[in-house]
Amino acid sequence: MSKYLELRTKLTEEQYLVEALRDLGFAPEICCEGAPLVGYMGDQRAERAQIIIRRRQLDSASNDIGFVRDGSGVYQAIISEYDRGIGFDDAWLGRLSQTYKERQTMAVAKSKGYVFKGREIIDTPQGKKIQLRFALR
Amino acid sequence: MKGKMVVIEIDEQGNSSMDLEGFHGSGCSAVAKDFQGRDAVKNIRNKREFYIQTTATTQHQEQ
Repeated sequence: MSKYLELRTKLTEEQYLVEALRDLGFAPEICCEGAPLVGYMGDQRAERAQIIIRRRQLDSASNDIGFVRDGSGVYQAIISEYDRGIGFDDAWLGRLSQTYKERQTMAVAKSKGYVFKGREIIDTPQGKKIQLRFALR
Repeated sequence: MKGKMVVIEIDEQGNSSMDLEGFHGSGCSAVAKDFQGRDAVKNIRNKREFYIQTTATTQHQEQ
């Protein structure tokens, strides 16, 4: 039978999260055991994360942005109030999720043998949608 | 005959949709599982052609 599913993206795979951050122009550090985040004064903060965008890649008054894996294996973002205020907010996280999901989808399709049939950007009132089409062999 | 297609749309709010076209039987669920990964399912519905098929097979003749 034919189906239609609606999904909410969960950031669970390090590889695609790192690739998505690179696509957005950052050079994330990967620290499997977790490393402390650094604040805007250069102070080491109590929070630790496995994937970190160092503050020097952000604004001069920024703190590090971290992604820490929670108990269920989902990466949660640690973003200071200041950095949320300068654009690293829910909308930014949404665009990150979009890029992550595209990376993940393309990788899954390739590994499972689906035939890529095209990519389109669709303008909607809520922003740009990425449409990916695949056929079965 | 129309082939089997998977159309995935990903928005800027962290949501996606998966449209599975031309499937019959259990193959549809396997494909959905491939692309769903660990994403949370918000909604699933069978498409119109499924209901048309179902209606056609259950329709009885009026006397």
